[in-house]
Amino acid sequence: MTGAYWRSVSFSSLQIEEWGGEFTVFQPNSGKTHFLNQMGLHILLCLDRAPTSEDEIFVFLTDQFQLTLDQNFSQQTIKTLHRFDELGLIEKVRPESLT
Amino acid sequence: MTVGQVPFGKFIALLSDSGLRVRVGPFNIRINTKSVTLANHIYRLYESYKLAEDEFAEFHVQVIVVHPKRKIFSPHIRFFVDGHSPFPPFPQEQGLTALEWGINLVIAARVSHLLLFHSAAVERNGQVILFPAWPGSGKTTLCTALIYRGYRLFSDEFGLMDPDNGDFFPIPRLMPLKNESIQVIRDYLPEAILGHEIPKTLKGTIAHVRPPKESFMRSEETAKAKWIIFPKWVAGSSLSLEPLPDSEAFLLLASNSFNYEVLGEVGFQAVTHLIRTCSCYKLVYSDFDDVISAMNDLTD
Repeated sequence: MTGAYWRSVSFSSLQIEEWGGEFTVFQPNSGKTHFLNQMGLHILLCLDRAPTSEDEIFVFLTDQFQLTLDQNFSQQTIKTLHRFDELGLIEKVRPESLT
Repeated sequence: MTVGQVPFGKFIALLSDSGLRVRVGPFNIRINTKSVTLANHIYRLYESYKLAEDEFAEFHVQVIVVHPKRKIFSPHIRFFVDGHSPFPPFPQEQGLTALEWGINLVIAARVSHLLLFHSAAVERNGQVILFPAWPGSGKTTLCTALIYRGYRLFSDEFGLMDPDNGDFFPIPRLMPLKNESIQVIRDYLPEAILGHEIPKTLKGTIAHVRPPKESFMRSEETAKAKWIIFPKWVAGSSLSLEPLPDSEAFLLLASNSFNYEVLGEVGFQAVTHLIRTCSCYKLVYSDFDDVISAMNDLTD
């Protein structure tokens, strides 16, 4: 089980400013400004490299932040992915399009 | 030439006929009314406003006496801007309030080339302090205390910023004190010039402060901001001026702007630049002497 695949949307168009470990992200497509913590930004960076499965995202994040991968962490991360999807920052990728 | 230098007869004629054109910060506004009561208030309180005769006026506002059908013996007034009335009628004695709120609305709704913060702004030693805050936070009262103690008024309502270069524009205007603040200022600043008290407005009793003449005389001198201070008056509190993380200041400032989202990327870049070049604080106070002393220390 690898979960859904995700990828970033127009990552290169985002304007990102760092404020001591927090980030303001201006999204030209929507005209909105989002406030992200380090983990949120790492998700976007990860998904900008290549479409990534949820399981791979969990592993990437737990490695980056030296956290334990458990169900609570997975659920929180999936919530964040769906929130980013609503904001138009990322989108789900159909598995067949990956081949 | 200022309003106060116009003979009263000519002033009344202008106001009721072709309109009185005054300079309001970076804008010219043409005011027209036949209400003699309102004319008297404007003549006294607008004394230091610069005239903008023969200049283009961005906004044309009118205050007209009307007789609502259900209140035929109780004249009301309506505010119009470019022929449209954004408010229901006001009782006639609230004419000045209607005019001032109307001008606020016009600026907030129609100015799109500048970044507009809902903020008081004052200047000392060539640099601006912004006090962004929502209604009811006491920013007009704080602003009044500061401008009668040596600070130059930019505005008690709008931080008007040129997003291209970060310059702030002064827009000195009457400042509406509300309810208890009126007596507080009368006690603390007996020299302050206040207009008549206007009871039973939507925001309670209002009295307008006439800013010192110097603020009007220097209303074309722009300046850059150096401090962004989010103020809160808390009864009985001792003064506290704590640094605010830049990320939090960004969030508060952007959400406090009238047109941040409308300006899109320009707004984002302008707020980013503003936060990067300013020191940001959270201020809690209750005593004017304390807060003026703290602001003086900061701006010396």
